[in-house]
Amino acid sequence: MLITIRGLHRIYEVGSEKVHALNGVDLDIDANEYVAIMGPSGSGKSTLMNIIGCLDTPSGGSYQLKGKEIGKLSDDELARIRNQEIGFVFQTFNLLARADALHNVELPLVYAGVRHEERRKRAREAIDLVGLTDRIKHKPNELSGGQRQRVAIARALVNRPSIILADEPTGNLDTATGEEIMAAFQNIWHQGNTVILVTHEADIARHARRVVRMRDGKIESDTPQAAATSAAAR
Amino acid sequence: MNLRESVGIALGAVRSNKLRSFLTLLGTIIGVMSVIAVLSFVEGLNRYVSQKLLNAGANVFWVDPYGFVTSQEQWEEVKDRPPITLDDADALRAGVPHAATVIAMADGSAIAHYRNKQVRGVAIRGRSAGYEVVDDYTLGAGRLFTDVDDQRRRLVCVLGSEVADELFSGLDPIGKQIRLGEENYKVIGVMAQKGKLLGQSQDRFAAIPVRTFQKYKQERGSFGVAVKSMDQASMPVAEQEVRNVLRGRRHLGPRAKDNFGITESENIMELYRNLTGGIFVVTIGVAAISLIVGGIVIMNIMLVSVTERTREIGIRKAMGARRRDVLAQFLVESTTLSLSGGLLGILAGVGLAVLAGAVTPLPTAVSVPALFLGVMMSALIGIFFGSYPAWRAARLDPIEALRYE
Ligand SMILES: Nc1ncnc2c1ncn2[C@@H]1O[C@H](COP(=O)(O)OP(=O)(O)OP(=O)(O)O)[C@@H](O)[C@H]1O
Ligand SMILES: [Mg+2]
Repeated sequence: MLITIRGLHRIYEVGSEKVHALNGVDLDIDANEYVAIMGPSGSGKSTLMNIIGCLDTPSGGSYQLKGKEIGKLSDDELARIRNQEIGFVFQTFNLLARADALHNVELPLVYAGVRHEERRKRAREAIDLVGLTDRIKHKPNELSGGQRQRVAIARALVNRPSIILADEPTGNLDTATGEEIMAAFQNIWHQGNTVILVTHEADIARHARRVVRMRDGKIESDTPQAAATSAAAR
Repeated sequence: MNLRESVGIALGAVRSNKLRSFLTLLGTIIGVMSVIAVLSFVEGLNRYVSQKLLNAGANVFWVDPYGFVTSQEQWEEVKDRPPITLDDADALRAGVPHAATVIAMADGSAIAHYRNKQVRGVAIRGRSAGYEVVDDYTLGAGRLFTDVDDQRRRLVCVLGSEVADELFSGLDPIGKQIRLGEENYKVIGVMAQKGKLLGQSQDRFAAIPVRTFQKYKQERGSFGVAVKSMDQASMPVAEQEVRNVLRGRRHLGPRAKDNFGITESENIMELYRNLTGGIFVVTIGVAAISLIVGGIVIMNIMLVSVTERTREIGIRKAMGARRRDVLAQFLVESTTLSLSGGLLGILAGVGLAVLAGAVTPLPTAVSVPALFLGVMMSALIGIFFGSYPAWRAARLDPIEALRYE
């Protein structure tokens, strides 16, 4: 099993009040699955994604990635996992404002210790893949929302991680651009990688092979889904 | 790591807001500048003094009643000692085999007159023949005075080039009669120009035979004796011989202390070194304070920078930056910052030193170790005062940093 989650809790303390963002989540995800996580706003989807992505740590319960208990790893080991194993696409892009597209995409390779020329080459390839070859020298504020999202996706792919986590990757995009990006994910999945994405759009969730629904920090339902026949196949 | 990027970010920040950067770096600039300027000044003085003073008096030591007095108490102790007489000097000339030259000396000052011209503040140097070896002058024109001139107390003089120029402006001084104070002297020679030492002319003098000096200028009182030993190695032997002769003449018992003093140019160098050492210590103190203040300002700027860039740090951590990567990035930034201050300080310090050398008589020489010191100091400031902000950045929680607004 790639991901094994048992009795996961995440409690935020706001003043004297405790918010149970995750309230006992059990979830198994195998390698090369394509999972969509859905649910109403505030149900804990982003919180779960952040923990799976090793950005956040649980308040209780267990999360094993490739058999390793994440809670027991050191800061440096977590950084290595974020760098090598996981490609994270944020809902709010999270690009470096002062760096151009190429440099943003290079970033994971910088911390992977890849040499300069090799880094350039691979970043260009990733940018070509998302169709932004002619915007390589643009800074984020010189790009449209959809183009920024594609830079973020190129960045998530550039270090060839086996797990892609995408938190509402199409939230800011029009339908056409959203479909293009979904096609890119489809592709990544076809290459044998694991894709987990959060969305509240049924159209988007349709591309996944499994839909997990959340409510109030718990998993409400977990259902497999037949292959989509339309846009993604284009 | 991404060193080039970090340096680039820091330089970009320095360049994009020049005034703020300048103010930020002012402490570092001033600190490094004062260190460089003072070191250059001290270095210049060192070279100058050791060159002029030590070479002039090479293997020379001086005998007088007092020795090298550096305090009031010392003076109280030595002020009633018996004078050194010209007979003492003659005895030394006869009884110190390791001396190459022994001369007696006495000094005064007078106004020099030639016809309607006069030159004030002329040093009158009463000297035995052969003094030019000790005082390190070379004859420019005419002749030097001899033992015979001395024995006969002749009214002859050898002028320093400045006095000759001012009195005779172009005329040939040799053979002319001039008045020094009360008496008339025949000019028999002019010394070649020697130049200035610490802004003081060394050519504003008239040398006369020491016995002439004794007869007309100073009937009693002490003379000084300058002894030039054969070479460096024989200096201590010559000093001991001088001691033996004088103690013998004064019938001092084996336990009695010397009642005369011997001074080497090394003693003067030592005083001088203490003096410049004092300047050095004070300036280093001032520099240290401004560097600490400068460091604190840099620390403050870096703390602001870390806060402003919390999201950037979050992004970098999310992409796999380890603590040490973030730490290194901010340390490189603070060091780049302080190094730019240091380089500006070096430029300003060298500029100041060169300027001081040009418009004042103070000699300056930029010393290469001082430049290294400046670079080292500013780099250390950056690393030391950048550590805390960098550590704060490094231990930020990735998800909290990403959420930071
Ligand atoms: N940093 C935080 N501090 C306090 N409470 C938080 C924090 N982050 C999230 N929460 C709370 O945890 C709950 C789950 O938040 P989460 O962001 O996981 O929801 P979500 O399912 O992603 O919602 P959306 O669809 O709106 O993005 C919410 O009630 C939210 O208020
Ligand atoms: Mg969310």
